[in-house]
Amino acid sequence: MGNMKTEIRFWFDERLGISSIAGFLRKKMVPQHRHSLWYYTGSAILLFFAIQVVTGFMLAFYYKPTLEGANQSVARIMTEVPLGWIIRSIHSWSASFMIAFVFIHLLSIWIAKSYRRPREFTWMSGVFLLVFTLASGFTGYLLPWDELSLSATKVGTDIPRSVPYVGVWVTKFLRGGEDVTGDTLTRFFSFHVSILPLLIFAFIAVHVYLIQKLGMSLPLSVESKKEKVKELPFWPNFIYREMVVWLLLFGILMTLAIFLPPSLEKTADLMAPAPEGLRPEWYFLFLFQTLKVFPPKVLFINGDTIVVLLILAAVILFFFLPVIDNKPAEKKGKVITFFAYVFIVFAVAMTVWSLL
Amino acid sequence: MKLKHSFFTRRQFLNGLLGGWAGAFLASFLYPALKFCFPPTREPDQVVLPFSDFEDMEPGSVRNFSWGTKPGMLKKRADGSYQAFVAVCTHLDCNVVYLPDKKKFFCACHDGWYDENGVNIGGPPPNPLRQLTVNREGEELIITKKSVE
Ligand code: HEM
Ligand code: FES
Repeated sequence: MGNMKTEIRFWFDERLGISSIAGFLRKKMVPQHRHSLWYYTGSAILLFFAIQVVTGFMLAFYYKPTLEGANQSVARIMTEVPLGWIIRSIHSWSASFMIAFVFIHLLSIWIAKSYRRPREFTWMSGVFLLVFTLASGFTGYLLPWDELSLSATKVGTDIPRSVPYVGVWVTKFLRGGEDVTGDTLTRFFSFHVSILPLLIFAFIAVHVYLIQKLGMSLPLSVESKKEKVKELPFWPNFIYREMVVWLLLFGILMTLAIFLPPSLEKTADLMAPAPEGLRPEWYFLFLFQTLKVFPPKVLFINGDTIVVLLILAAVILFFFLPVIDNKPAEKKGKVITFFAYVFIVFAVAMTVWSLL
Repeated sequence: MKLKHSFFTRRQFLNGLLGGWAGAFLASFLYPALKFCFPPTREPDQVVLPFSDFEDMEPGSVRNFSWGTKPGMLKKRADGSYQAFVAVCTHLDCNVVYLPDKKKFFCACHDGWYDENGVNIGGPPPNPLRQLTVNREGEELIITKKSVE
């Protein structure tokens, strides 16, 4: 028997080269220190993305991306399809969790400066993943095609228009024409269930490859101490700990999904006035509030144009953060860390304000 | 190899030629693919409405019609003449509503306000509502795009 098992393993190994991967994982170590908790945020994102893929494909079995059918098909998922309401609820909650953890993950890396040389590309692929994840949330929000999601999409897709020259084309591309119509719905569906998931998969692959190649980083404060850092084998010790975290998060997710399922308003009407209390999803609230309170005109320049250009500039700076923060241990580095806290305070304050 | 008075070597020249050709080749695919992504726009030049649908309107009231894929609003002035608007907020494109008791247009998205002539008077909207020209021809109301002012 034992002989046969080794033979089978050898047969596969000869063709797939598993042993080199297994050997790598057996040797991989994860540092243990005061800030190790943040190492778990990345795998939490993977968990929620996996849940999105599974529940998303299930929803796509019944969902119909048409003007006439969309809202009704979601209503059917909620009322007729066996356990459909739970699947939709999980998809909706897990989207929020995934986005929340992407924010936490990136902020923790910003503050710990884990993007330091040679991990610049790991950070940059992470910023792409942030954009794709937010885009998934935005495109998914339209799919139930109710009054709120239609107005939110109108506003969201109109925002690029205030950028001179290119903006109009971005708006037209997103909408599939001048206005939000049935063409926008099919386009968003295609972004949401195929283009964005493929992009996310591809960038996760790059991201994870780089993490394996470069190993786990140490926070500056830990690295500067001369003593040796304690380490934990990735396999199986760290994996077991991750599983505990996953189970915990999954439990929280299921509890919320069962007790607080998402609502479904009446079907969107392209001609109806915007409903009161329009609000984007929570992760866009701070941008929504910024747009709302910014003066409409500053020195003859459209206020929205300024906000959008500022946001664009912020995203570009954010993307190049590892290159900008080239002296992490010095004063400049401290100022850059300080900006992470400024951002957190700004985002939280704006979000709270918009809820008042 | 480089000739005496030449700016680049023969290799650079050939690479440039090949690269340029490859770029043009790719662009020739990109262009139709991009074109595909932008369907023709559908804003109408004019819309014809039966006058009978709007004859009974109270002065100062507003009734909706379809301006292509956007909502339009026809308002009867106190003197009985008609005025037409594209009922879409000039801020970020939400559909507006007319509040007859306040004599104002209101946009719920970010609290935008317009007076009864569609002039922006409060909140973020940067411009007045777009107006359309209304002409009555027999039993028909012809709503046309205003030539750009
Ligand atoms: C392979 C991946 C995915 C597929 C196939 C998929 C599929 C779908 C489908 C068919 C719907 C419409 C049904 C409904 O509205 O309940 C939907 C809605 C939605 N999706 Fe996804 N999705 C995927 C990934 C994601 C990701 C990564 C996110 C964001 C992090 C996301 C966020 C949303 C949101 C916010 C909604 C609206 C939820 C609601 O109100 O019902 N999805 N998705
Ligand atoms: S879209 Fe009307 S006020 Fe913003």
